[in-house]
Amino acid sequence: MEKTRTKVVLLQGQKVELVRRLFKEDVPEGVIVRPNPRVITHYHTYGGISRFFEGLAQGKLMGTYCSTINCEHRIWLPPRAHCPDCWEPMHWVEIPAAGAKVYTHSTTNYPGEGFELSVPCPLISVEIPGVCTKFMSYLSEFGEGEPYIGMPIKPAFRTENPTYSILDVSWVPAETLLPSGST
Amino acid sequence: MITFGKGNLRIPKFSRPVYMVAGGLTDYRKFYPEKQSTELCRDAMCDAVQNGLGMAVRDFKELANFCVYSQFADHFGDQLLASSKIHDGLGFEPLGNMENKTGGATGGVSTVLGAMAVASGLASCVPVIGWERMDEVSTRQGNAYIASAACKDFESKLGWLYTTYYALMMRRYLHENHPQRETLAKIAQKNHRYARFSPYTQLAHDYTIDEILNSAVVSEPLTYPECCAMSTGAAALILCDEETAFRLTDRPVKILGVGIGTDTLRTADRRDMPILLLPNETEEMYRERKSDWPGFTSFKAARFAAYQAYHMAGITDPVSELDLAETHDAFSVSAIQTYEDVGFRPYGRGAEFIESGDAYLGGRLPENLSGGLIGGMHSVGATGIFQVVEAFWQIRGEWDKFHADERYWQKFGKTKPKDFQSLQIPNARRGMAISHAGTGSHVSVIILERGW
Repeated sequence: MEKTRTKVVLLQGQKVELVRRLFKEDVPEGVIVRPNPRVITHYHTYGGISRFFEGLAQGKLMGTYCSTINCEHRIWLPPRAHCPDCWEPMHWVEIPAAGAKVYTHSTTNYPGEGFELSVPCPLISVEIPGVCTKFMSYLSEFGEGEPYIGMPIKPAFRTENPTYSILDVSWVPAETLLPSGST
Repeated sequence: MITFGKGNLRIPKFSRPVYMVAGGLTDYRKFYPEKQSTELCRDAMCDAVQNGLGMAVRDFKELANFCVYSQFADHFGDQLLASSKIHDGLGFEPLGNMENKTGGATGGVSTVLGAMAVASGLASCVPVIGWERMDEVSTRQGNAYIASAACKDFESKLGWLYTTYYALMMRRYLHENHPQRETLAKIAQKNHRYARFSPYTQLAHDYTIDEILNSAVVSEPLTYPECCAMSTGAAALILCDEETAFRLTDRPVKILGVGIGTDTLRTADRRDMPILLLPNETEEMYRERKSDWPGFTSFKAARFAAYQAYHMAGITDPVSELDLAETHDAFSVSAIQTYEDVGFRPYGRGAEFIESGDAYLGGRLPENLSGGLIGGMHSVGATGIFQVVEAFWQIRGEWDKFHADERYWQKFGKTKPKDFQSLQIPNARRGMAISHAGTGSHVSVIILERGW
């Protein structure tokens, strides 16, 4: 009687196109360069700082502070779940952003792969009274000569269709009138 | 932390002396399909063992007893535990090994790890081997991979590009310290130019200052020639205890001082604190200073590493007591920031290090004669090792042997320039290499000195 044998087959039988040219150079004779495509989704938790991203979706800028004696009492933004000085849990507080200014700035023209904003995109560091850090963000509305160091700004939130990422907050010139729920 | 206790400022000390006996490099290319990483690492080790030590591979392999591997990002090579492949490709199993990952400072910190293995007595002969395979993905994807070393929750998404994070620092540096914009371009010009005299380098070119300033702006205000290379290649060095070192060479180079410093991953989170003073500084010097420290213009990690290394090496005035320096010039601005962090000039006055001529061949402390990262290479895991190897050759008086020899130019398919110039520093005795990660999250300082 003939024995039954199971076959193992290549499941994705797509034809592989070898790479002939890369970085404006030809692949040398006798060398095989093949494409290894990847499409991956990571499922990332914000854990103890989730409240910050929830806050953005609600139009609020949330920071944390430590109440331990002898620790930094100013607000941390980005927030931290634990105080780096004493390792105790921190407390949440909504940050009044009045008085926020551009501490320094740049403009991204050639971003890395996966950048989700249009270019040119002014990158800014934000100085806020009572906050011990300099929050990195972007200016979503700018005119000629903007941003500049010391420029008064205010936050704008993506409350409709939030991305639950740092892109949900941006900054606009302080005198701008904002329609609700948009950036 | 922004205040220090006694234990935090302890000066490092080796339990026994550590020497470097050889170094080896590949050339560095944007695209290197001819060789796999295992082959590149083998080439660098062959250079160190055969050309450096003048030994047969089999004889050297009998001496090695521990290995350190240096690769920044598994993302790039797309192979976890890639060091294992390098290790068995060189036939070093079953010897022990460690792979270090400390961002852009991976090469420098790996060298310190190798020194730790020897200094502790764990090992007596340690190859330290670094590489990065940066050509499997497009440049845009490569920049995004590198920016994965920024904080993914709060910073990476704002550019997926380190240039833009450094451009923030540059804008602030120009605002606080008012250097001539041209001075920053001069750093890029110098390093691209020195790269012309090296067969290993990727971005050798003679630029005018106008060409640099008028090139495309990657992220305002940084232009293309002010940004480092993205390279594929490898570098290796060999560390030994005293007895082994003098058995292998009569001119070993001593690891005189080391330091490793760190800072918050996010530039945003750097709270102001009093400046940690180096041996050549006083509080008086900064009495009138109004800017925050470290703020956005200084690297606390570099200052801390230099503090440790200078004290360990007994250096009180770096510019006069060192003969050469290799800095991590990922961008023109990070070089000028580093000059101040490691005390080549006081804070705010880094431009003087360039304008005085100190940083050039013939000056008091020639810097990045290798071409650095801007002109030479940035194959991240190899970079810190490349710097130490270049410093080692200078101290041994072997710069010409490893750069002027036509055979190296031919090996890498290059033509030696007609106006070739030797960059050997006469009678170099002591050098320093600075390896740097992120926006200054890790920095190592290594000081080497003639050991004979």
